[in-house]
Amino acid sequence: MLELIDLKVSYGGVEAIHGLSLTVKQGELVAILGANGAGKTTTLMAISGLVRPKSGAIYFKKERLDTLRSHEVVQRGIAQVPEGRRVFGPMTVEENLKLGAFSKKRWSEKTYKKVMDLFPRLEERKVQMAGTLSGGEQQMLAIGRALMAEPSVLLLDEPSLGLAPLLVKSIFQAIADINSSGVTIILVEQNARAALKLASRGYVLDVGRLVIVDSAPNLLNNPVVTDAYLGAKST
Amino acid sequence: MDFFFQQLSNGLTVGGIYALIALGYTMVYGVMKLINFAHGELFALGAYIGYSLLVTMNLGGRLGPPMAIALTIIMVASLVALAGHLLERAAYRPLSHSDRLSAVVSALGASIFLQNAIMIKWGAQYRAYGADLLPNVIVNLFGQNVPLIRILVFLFAVVVMTALYAFIHRTKLGLAIRAAAIDQGAAKLMGVDVRRVIAVVFIIGPALGGLAGLLVGLYYGQINFIMGQLYGLKAFTAAIIGGIGNIPGAMIGGLLLGLIEALGAAYVSVAWKDALTFVVLILILVFRPTGLLPERVAEKL
Repeated sequence: MLELIDLKVSYGGVEAIHGLSLTVKQGELVAILGANGAGKTTTLMAISGLVRPKSGAIYFKKERLDTLRSHEVVQRGIAQVPEGRRVFGPMTVEENLKLGAFSKKRWSEKTYKKVMDLFPRLEERKVQMAGTLSGGEQQMLAIGRALMAEPSVLLLDEPSLGLAPLLVKSIFQAIADINSSGVTIILVEQNARAALKLASRGYVLDVGRLVIVDSAPNLLNNPVVTDAYLGAKST
Repeated sequence: MDFFFQQLSNGLTVGGIYALIALGYTMVYGVMKLINFAHGELFALGAYIGYSLLVTMNLGGRLGPPMAIALTIIMVASLVALAGHLLERAAYRPLSHSDRLSAVVSALGASIFLQNAIMIKWGAQYRAYGADLLPNVIVNLFGQNVPLIRILVFLFAVVVMTALYAFIHRTKLGLAIRAAAIDQGAAKLMGVDVRRVIAVVFIIGPALGGLAGLLVGLYYGQINFIMGQLYGLKAFTAAIIGGIGNIPGAMIGGLLLGLIEALGAAYVSVAWKDALTFVVLILILVFRPTGLLPERVAEKL
């Protein structure tokens, strides 16, 4: 469904991704793991069209994606929840959700209800400025906002970042629910163990290179992965 | 009291004009984080297009003043909007991936280019709008005599600003503009075509500035090709007073600056009128660089 072929991305003269190939099948939940600077966020930004790859290609449902502009990517049904949530702080929760639905011709009450069922907390905070929400609520809003675009693929960048463990659990539960409702998900995480419990497969990146691709259970048992990313021996 | 009221009404009228120009600075800054230094020249262009239509082509004589002014308003807004759009395409869009500083230099160049283009086209001398365009009527307002044109200019500015505010807060495109002002990257991820947002901002801002130019022509009766410099600087000050990037701030800043100027000229010294403006600018920059409006209201656009 979504395919990256030998993707190379550079910022200025510095190459951040040195040839990454990746495929995601319809309905899958795939994790991208790796330390800081591995190129995880860059990969998502390239899919979303916010950075242009230097070479290689991205295909989505047989259509070339990497030549499209970012709003066209959203129109194709690929939404992203960016790192650090990036909700529109001086706008209300409702306005944030409206922006999420920006790519849609009209506001869908049905989708809105679905999002509210998933995150009832947002309903209570509807008229509140997004900037005044707690970190967990902002993450809910960021995910809910992306869902308003009714995406077929959802890109999640570090949804657990900076959240209390209890909240992480409920956010991951929500991600599992979204996936089981049929949305394909690419999950970028530093919290590798939690991510691999949800994912069917995982890609492990290291400084812009793909090191391992495997099924999630295999990755959880792979000593290289557990040592480096799961903090089995050291943190 | 009478004298004070005259200054007050004059200040509000001039302030309304400043506010219209300031909106152009603030909208462009809000979305692009760029001061459009050529904005003052677009304002002057509006004044000159108005001059061409009303005086050179004598629309007033042919259509009668009300129709002529209505038509001129539409023409000035659309032609200056077009000029603003071309300016964005020529001077800013090609630099969208360059340093901020390149765009600033490009803006300064565009400003010099436009100012000289206006001088070549319309000449370096003062040009006079006809005195007979607007009826020289004095109306009685709250027991005070006020020239009708002051009220008309002020009301016009208020109506345009209200319409803009409604557009920014009630429409989908307005929402996109606000989002792009807060976080361009995040707006793109929402499916907002930021390039289109920038284009829209570069149409609305210049249209408002051009209309302000027309108002100056109608209100003061004369225009010259360097008028964009002083008005541009003053409107920029107004935008800073309210907090640059903030639409209600630009409106309030404009009105406030008009009042400060009028009252300063009346009670301090006319000669110090312009100096006063820049004293205010310096004070704001030193003591409240984010503008007078409190942060919560200052939600950028």
